[in-house]
Amino acid sequence: MSSDASDGADAKTALRVRALESLLLEKGLIETDAIEELVDMFENRLGPWNGAKVVARAWTDPAFKQRLLQDGTAALAEMGFDTIQGEEMVIVENSPGVHNVIVCTLCSCFPWAVLGLPPVWYKSAPYRAEAARDPRGVLREFGTEIDGDTEVRVWDSNAELRYMVLPERPAGSDNMDAAALAELVTRDSMIGVSKVAPP
Amino acid sequence: MPVVDLELVKNLYKTPGAARLPVDVAPRFKAGDAVVARNINPPGHTRLPRYIRDKKGVIENDLGVFHLPDSRAAGTGDQAQHMYTVRFDAREVWGVEAPANDSLRITLWDDYMNPA
Repeated sequence: MSSDASDGADAKTALRVRALESLLLEKGLIETDAIEELVDMFENRLGPWNGAKVVARAWTDPAFKQRLLQDGTAALAEMGFDTIQGEEMVIVENSPGVHNVIVCTLCSCFPWAVLGLPPVWYKSAPYRAEAARDPRGVLREFGTEIDGDTEVRVWDSNAELRYMVLPERPAGSDNMDAAALAELVTRDSMIGVSKVAPP
Repeated sequence: MPVVDLELVKNLYKTPGAARLPVDVAPRFKAGDAVVARNINPPGHTRLPRYIRDKKGVIENDLGVFHLPDSRAAGTGDQAQHMYTVRFDAREVWGVEAPANDSLRITLWDDYMNPA
């Protein structure tokens, strides 16, 4: 986003956030170190790099993968990802016959603990409506073609449950270790709108 | 008004509020049961998506006991109910033009369903 219009909008938002922040501080409703902690949480600790580590481990550690698919919440806790908006986690596995995709048709529920805050498109009305009604069409917009024999499963996060997709390990990654594999895993592949590209 | 301080934020991160309830309540359904989502239109909050109402599905698994969001939001008291993953075929929801293979998974509470 580098157009003048979006720069203007960003500048306006930044100004509004600064104004809100100083008001909250002046009124004594929030403390500075609490703001710093919140920013650190969302910038450095909650993000798709967590989910990528989980996926890479599942690809390289079959016992962990089994635990992850059986009880996602417990397996994620092993890795320290039992945090906000990851209280009840279900991990769904993509395979040659099944492709999973996640949506929240009612609002914007998203597994913060492993993927961070949702992208803007995930919260938009068109994605929320179309991912449920025509998931193959939505996937095509993301450049993802799913063959006719494969079952597309849409998971609507309408309850106190958060989903993450375990994407398929790409071809040509056999000799890579977990750290290198984690670098390949994208946020979108863990939402299910794309696949993990070969290295 | 409570002040948002460092401790509050750290607790927010570390000890999130799970909606799962450690109580023993009898489930109305079990895996494999055929169900139909109720056609209810409450004036207040519900987590029963409109597009699934009156559609037939199959219980895939019992997820345990959770607060029913409807009564919580309405302030009419907490209700502990079983919550299930329910499978709906895409064709049942969207009609014959939907691909035959595709499906949806929705989480439904006991109150949201009747036996089909």
